[in-house]
Amino acid sequence: MLKEIIMPMLGETMEEGYLVSWKKNEGDKVEKGDVLFEVMSDKTNFEVEAMDNGYLRKKLYEPSDDPIPITTVIGYITDTPDEPVKTEKPVDTAQKAEIKTVSEETKPIEKKVVPDTAGKDEQGVSGRIKVSPIARRLAEEAGIDIFSVKGSGPDGRIEKKDVEEYLSGKKADASAESAGEYTVKEWTPLRRIIAKRLSYSKREIPHYYFEGKVVVDKIAKIKEAKKADGVNLTYTDFLVFFTAQAIKEYPLINAALINDEIRVYPSIDIGLAVSVEEGLVVPVIRDCGAKNISEISADIKQTAEKARLNKLTEEDMKNARFVISNLGMYGVESFQPIISPPGVAIMGVGKIGKEVIVVDDKQVIAPVMSISFSFDHRIVDGAYAGMFYKRFKEIIENPVLD
Amino acid sequence: MREITYREALNEALLEEMEKDPNVFLLGEDIAIYGGAYGVTAGLWKKYGDERVLDTPISENAIVGTGLGAALTGMRPVAEIMYIDFIGLCLEQLNNQVAKIRYMFGGKCTVPLTIRTEGGAGRTLGAHHSQSLESWLIHIPGIKVVMPSTPYDAKGLLKASIRENNPVVFIEHKMLYNTKGPVSDEEYVLPIGVADIKREGKDVSLITYSRMTLFCLQAAEILAKEGISVEVVDLRTLLPMDTEAIINTVKKTNKVIIVEEDCKTGGTGAEITAQIMEKAFDYLDAPVVRVAGADVPMPKSPVLEKLAIPDTDSICQAVREILAR
Repeated sequence: MLKEIIMPMLGETMEEGYLVSWKKNEGDKVEKGDVLFEVMSDKTNFEVEAMDNGYLRKKLYEPSDDPIPITTVIGYITDTPDEPVKTEKPVDTAQKAEIKTVSEETKPIEKKVVPDTAGKDEQGVSGRIKVSPIARRLAEEAGIDIFSVKGSGPDGRIEKKDVEEYLSGKKADASAESAGEYTVKEWTPLRRIIAKRLSYSKREIPHYYFEGKVVVDKIAKIKEAKKADGVNLTYTDFLVFFTAQAIKEYPLINAALINDEIRVYPSIDIGLAVSVEEGLVVPVIRDCGAKNISEISADIKQTAEKARLNKLTEEDMKNARFVISNLGMYGVESFQPIISPPGVAIMGVGKIGKEVIVVDDKQVIAPVMSISFSFDHRIVDGAYAGMFYKRFKEIIENPVLD
Repeated sequence: MREITYREALNEALLEEMEKDPNVFLLGEDIAIYGGAYGVTAGLWKKYGDERVLDTPISENAIVGTGLGAALTGMRPVAEIMYIDFIGLCLEQLNNQVAKIRYMFGGKCTVPLTIRTEGGAGRTLGAHHSQSLESWLIHIPGIKVVMPSTPYDAKGLLKASIRENNPVVFIEHKMLYNTKGPVSDEEYVLPIGVADIKREGKDVSLITYSRMTLFCLQAAEILAKEGISVEVVDLRTLLPMDTEAIINTVKKTNKVIIVEEDCKTGGTGAEITAQIMEKAFDYLDAPVVRVAGADVPMPKSPVLEKLAIPDTDSICQAVREILAR
């Protein structure tokens, strides 16, 4: 019997993945649970196991930098080593549950998701771009990445004039500089994923923004006191903890809009934007509403270490509804971050500086943190988000840890 | 320059070559007393008599066979097959004898035979008298196939065909006989196997031949008003094909539409397309497009006949599509 191997959907917003490597050769005997291939998606690499016993008979795709839409059939397993097997790629990429992923073993809290559309990417061209022979040759001769040229021909085909226009634009840019030279840096799969996710977010999610300031003198004192007891807590630890406390009272700040449903989750999962060498990753601290600050602090330390060692898994990074992005250490006053799908909101943390504030009609100098929020207007309106912010500010300015 | 019809130009070519070379003689159905079904040989029998202008029985096989025999003895016969639709009746002579005899006898003889015929639709003559069968003939190594579109080309190429030492099938178009064009008073001969750029352009190339050249030029005129610069390449000879001209136009415009009256499947356009794929692929900016006749026996109905072959509208439409306008 012939069984299809498909590109799995490894996250609620995953639309396509990159085949990194096959772990078996054509003809190899495969047992259920053997690692069959490795996929990169939404910034992590992921090993995918075989669902059936049998033989890996055909690889329809080889590892490459081209993304493969989810549910695309990428190979076949058969029960016996010699039964006939199809060799061409099927056109129909309907959802088939022939394989499961390692992560599904760990009980997901969210409802299981079945994608309703298969093999369709945002441009509707399923990852293949059309380039005319002469346009391809001109691009090669000029040493430019054909992906950066926009096609104007039928079905978006990149034609000669598109490359020429791109080159003349480039030349104009280059000639504006005195040297007229530039170096080409590879647009890596990670950067492409970042581009795709955030472009999607800016295009599809109607963002609106808040800016505010929170007085953090009391947190600073607690921080000092804990340090004296030998416990190092960071402002991020406090932010995650108190944000979760505020979200408990405003559950829509832990929702996501998926498949035309607003899904509200019991587990408050807060993502942290972490800069890594190649780009940006967002590991997620799970169930923050149920954890005390030491547990959260320990989770964050462990996550940061994993990120540093590039060991984050898909499971570590998926489905943050609320994300915290901190640029305060660079002296940034405030910024408007882009929501990371499927999140409903993102917090931008600016610098902490000493400011004169008024307490009981007296001028007092206190540490003040600039803070901003971006919300998804499809899910929450300004009044609701405003109430959430008010509550968040109350909690963080009057911190209670227990 | 004086303007004469395509028919008159052909008549002049025959007259001049008969005058110049006593070995040139004509044979075919109703070409002598009647002057030919479309009048191309009018007046020649009166001038040269039975010896050099022969009416034959209705037997295409005999006409071509006689022409071959005469050619082998050193004559320069010009045989007429009234409609190309009946070329099948003499394919044994043409394909197995005329085309191969020089090769099979090690070059000891030549066949300076010209077979004039005409084809194409436009007079609602139905499925038996309207076909474009040139693609059958370009599949025969050993002959040349000439299909001129203008009076000037018709005269110069017919003279060249008669002087050619190898067999030539010279295909006229029934809708061209009354078309007029400038033809020099002075004697001239045009080379076989050389295309002519009938209109220079830079956005898209129309590669065509015979009557479709006229449609392409009309289309180019219309499209020029839309700001589209169309090049029209008239192949004039299909075998040997002027691949250099084809490659040059592909290099120039990078976009090619082949316009042909014959049926699309297995047609002349398929061969031109393959030549482009083999020799100019890297210069293409779009897939080659064929605007061709429908794969149907030619309808008798004037409405359907018009629909079965390309016209100016369908050519304009194809140009706009390839340019995504």
